[in-house]
Amino acid sequence: MPRLKSLEELQQLRERVQSELKARTSASTVITVGMGTCGISAGAREVMYAILAELERLKIDAHVTTTGCIGMCSKEPLVDIQQGNQPRVTYGNVTPAMVPRLIEEHLVRGNVVTEWVVGRTTG
Amino acid sequence: MSERHRADVLVCTCPACTKAGAQALLEALREELARRELTEEVGIVETGSRGFCYMGPIVVIQPEGILYTGVQAADIPELVEETLIKGRIVERLTYKEPSTHRAVPYYKDIPFYGKQMRVVLRNCGVINPQSIEEYIAVGGYQALGKVLTSMTPEQVIEEVKRSGLRGRGGAGFPTGRKWELTRKSPGEVKYVIANGDEGDPGAYMDRALLEGDPHSVIEGMMIGAYAIGAHEGFIYVRDEYPLAVKNVQRAIEQAREYGLLGENILGSGFDFDIKVVRGAGAFVCGEETALIASIEGRAGNPRPRPPFPAQSGLWGKPTNINNVKSWANIPVIIQRGADWYRQIGTETSKGTMIFSLVGKVQNTGLVEVPMGITLRELIYEIGGGGKNGKRVKAVQTGGPSGGCIPTFLFDLQVDYETLKQAGSIMGSGGMIVMDEDTCMVDVARYFLDFLKDESCGKCTPCREGIRHMLGILNRIRDGQGAMEDLVELEALAQVVKETSLCGLGQTAPNPVLTTLRYFRDEYEAHILRKKCPAGVCLPLVRAKCTNACPAGVDIPTYVALIARGRYAEALEVHRRRNPFALVCGRVCPAFCEAECRRGELDQPIAIRQVKRFMADHELKAPWTPPRAAKRYPEKVAVIGSGPAGLTAALRLAQKGYPVTVFEALPVAGGMLAVGIPEYRLPRDILQVEIDNIKRAGVEIRLNSALGRDFALDDLMTQQGYKAVILAVGAHKSRRLGIPGEDLPGVYPGTTFLRDIALGKAPDLKGKRVVVVGGGDVAIDAVRSSWRLGASEVHLVYRRTRAEMPARKDEVEAAEKEGVQFHFLLNPTRVLGTDRVTGIEMQRQELGEFDTSGRRRPVPVPGSEFVMEAEVLIAAIGQEPDLFWLDGTGIEARRDGTLVVGPSYSTTRTGVFAAGDAVLGPATVVQAIGQGNEVAEAVDHYLRTGKVEEVAVRPGYEVVKQIFDMEQYYKAVRPATRELPVEARRGNFSEVELCFDERTAQEECKRCLRCDLEWLEDTGLEAVPVPDRVLVIETAERKS
Repeated sequence: MPRLKSLEELQQLRERVQSELKARTSASTVITVGMGTCGISAGAREVMYAILAELERLKIDAHVTTTGCIGMCSKEPLVDIQQGNQPRVTYGNVTPAMVPRLIEEHLVRGNVVTEWVVGRTTG
Repeated sequence: MSERHRADVLVCTCPACTKAGAQALLEALREELARRELTEEVGIVETGSRGFCYMGPIVVIQPEGILYTGVQAADIPELVEETLIKGRIVERLTYKEPSTHRAVPYYKDIPFYGKQMRVVLRNCGVINPQSIEEYIAVGGYQALGKVLTSMTPEQVIEEVKRSGLRGRGGAGFPTGRKWELTRKSPGEVKYVIANGDEGDPGAYMDRALLEGDPHSVIEGMMIGAYAIGAHEGFIYVRDEYPLAVKNVQRAIEQAREYGLLGENILGSGFDFDIKVVRGAGAFVCGEETALIASIEGRAGNPRPRPPFPAQSGLWGKPTNINNVKSWANIPVIIQRGADWYRQIGTETSKGTMIFSLVGKVQNTGLVEVPMGITLRELIYEIGGGGKNGKRVKAVQTGGPSGGCIPTFLFDLQVDYETLKQAGSIMGSGGMIVMDEDTCMVDVARYFLDFLKDESCGKCTPCREGIRHMLGILNRIRDGQGAMEDLVELEALAQVVKETSLCGLGQTAPNPVLTTLRYFRDEYEAHILRKKCPAGVCLPLVRAKCTNACPAGVDIPTYVALIARGRYAEALEVHRRRNPFALVCGRVCPAFCEAECRRGELDQPIAIRQVKRFMADHELKAPWTPPRAAKRYPEKVAVIGSGPAGLTAALRLAQKGYPVTVFEALPVAGGMLAVGIPEYRLPRDILQVEIDNIKRAGVEIRLNSALGRDFALDDLMTQQGYKAVILAVGAHKSRRLGIPGEDLPGVYPGTTFLRDIALGKAPDLKGKRVVVVGGGDVAIDAVRSSWRLGASEVHLVYRRTRAEMPARKDEVEAAEKEGVQFHFLLNPTRVLGTDRVTGIEMQRQELGEFDTSGRRRPVPVPGSEFVMEAEVLIAAIGQEPDLFWLDGTGIEARRDGTLVVGPSYSTTRTGVFAAGDAVLGPATVVQAIGQGNEVAEAVDHYLRTGKVEEVAVRPGYEVVKQIFDMEQYYKAVRPATRELPVEARRGNFSEVELCFDERTAQEECKRCLRCDLEWLEDTGLEAVPVPDRVLVIETAERKS
């Protein structure tokens, strides 16, 4: 990656990555797994593997990413699903066993699994 | 996107989209592109699912990334025309959030986030911390750019000073001033350091920040370095935070690759780089001089200040050291301006603070709140209050350097000064919530034990002082403490506080001092009564159940005896602390079961019901309580024949005193006889246990009321009673205090129940009855009304079901019997001219949390309506009836309870008090416990003439048991058997039925035998045999 030589170059980089990220969420599904220490210790890694395996099985080309701690540590592992620039819908206390139903309901049928949902982001 | 096309149309051809018409769409698209002669410019790509296929067919236009859902062949001409030719978006085809998603609450509407303000944690849990691009996309490094291109170092310092930011490590020194001092220190080489040596037990704010948003810390340090004139920085992270170390290191590398760290940053001529230093995890290294020594490669010991690091820090150069949270505040302050930042918080504490909310609170986690929020909002609204319905007792802020703040101070604002005044500190942001199961002596001990290991040993007060304080606390925990220990503890604490070299020692006594200040009663319980109320200090706790029992009944022993079929022995063990096994087997709220450890695994042992079985089984064997051979001449009078009075009378008779009980009513038993309805406690059953007590030589005089039939002075002078125990109970119902309350048809709850018990039940047949209140008396009143044939029975309570103080199983029973519950209602007026015809009700809503940790009901103006009723029963609380009090020399509190010292003595010598008269309306077993204790105090007074607290530690035996591990693990608590609802109407037959012998025995075998936790201490050893563990007795008896 190129060294940024001025504030203008930083601005250009910012605009470029913003539109790239927007393209990613607007035209695809982004699944974000909370992978701070709190998440990992609650089993987030296993949940992420389960998500990757389930997406592979169903041939769904969703984007899986990670993030840090959002504060609700008692609800970790937390999994956010964001589609088409809509709010991120957060599921709490997710286990690998919950993953197939989560993907089936949310991604394939388009329904929120209400009993597992925690909330959604405003942005 | 293919290189030769200006646009690509991606069509999902997954099974779902194909079924929805993707093939027809593809065909239409090919035709349309051909017709418009776009085949050269626009490519068509068939793709797999993207996870939206419930809205198929899905079409994505690249490079713009436009997503269309539910596209049909007929939409193609418009799509091509608008999007591919004119570059416009076809709104109707864009993705819409499914309606089920819209029902999900936004974060800001979840109580956990409602009062939060995420400034420092803005990116945590949102962006990918391993991607500098994501940080840049949300505005990262913009503040740096602004500083480097448009601000002088002085302007930056001025902005930070004006923001009011203070050190987030806990001491709260103004950050801008610190920067200024470092900048002004002479010297070419200067350093900046981020302190991430987070060591408070239960605190992990720094970790989350370094893991979740490392670039914000780096950017803050760069801005600070620019302002101070430093070119090198260090981030000190504990090595036990591997993910934080990894993410920070990766972030530094990424920043270097983009030239954001290194030489000539953004072409400004400013050079700066950062190294990560991994700490080995010594708590004292959070102290700045010790941390600097650690970076230098020396042992992490503090040194005296001055000189401060700003003058002479790392390698003797001026050094600015801030907490990682302080650094992460900087980019926001620069970007949004000091004026914006200053609006948040209080006069002296600006901005937000991050807390790790942990311990006995429902929503544990990391929260960021504006300074000045109250502890109550933080713990109840954000934290959701106590775990598993337990009551919060205190919160510990600031970790081992902080203090414990009790609930009655929860209206305090969270800021540096207020917390300091309360004896605690803001600290780095650890917040440990404690409930009734937390022992404050143990808390102080825990922190001192931690600090004893963490003290570096350089200065004597800290090294020796902490060790000595810990020694005293260990003694108190072991039940060996004396009251003088508390004096010495306080003196030591003061010395350590004033003379220690660094912050570790100076703040180390805080947990001790605050617990002594706010929870002295717990220390006294350990020292004087040899009791740990929370059941934590093992040397004082036989088992959690026994510890929780107000009468101190040796539960594990009698449960073990029942398991082996030795019922008479079991009952004998029970009677040593509680002579009312038949009664308590029916009506006890079973505090023991709430603490039962088996309950943490599946369900608590049904202790109350096995007790009932044991007592019922022995019903035919009348009990004559054993009495001491020696007889004393001093006569004792007991006023009131409720559980407290009768227990005290029995114990004193057993000790050899002549005892007379004076009872105002024509029946003995107090609330047992005229409060608790017969369907819960049959009168013949009660009479058996009263007769037992009579057999010990206790005389009961009925129809003899204090203040009506005799005076206290007569008893003590003419009649020659040497001691009097007032156990008059709390029989007076509180008044509603509303107009119309004295109309016929309005009954005070206790009067109503008493009239039924004395055979004067009002005629309720076919009437509508409304009962006001949420406690046990209210439930007794509704269930009795239903039995008396009322046409409808309503219970009205001003809070919600969750806040009802009544026993849960009683509430459920009332519901089964058809009682209608109305919550959040309060009566404002009784209607009617010569009789009740209705009640005006006002709706309530739940407001702020009160000191009990429950939301306060707040009236809704204008919400009044009329509820028709012929009978109104007011059961909103009881208090002692003290019409006889004047001129006796005995003092009462405002709530009508009598003032007593720890020895149960009232303000008049020779007169003692116990039971509801002291406690206010409480439970049978609490009254029994007080009865035992007041008897000891009276005996001590009569023998020594001294009025002082007497500690009695009953001895106990150990009953061996054979555990069948397989069954032990699988066994479940049996269901309660009850009389069918149809059989209850119109009569007062007992509802709950007794366990059969086998059920009771099997249930007792589920007991985990916590009393055997320390087998060696009890002289036992465990011998594993195949599938079993056999506990064998090697010692006869232990006391």
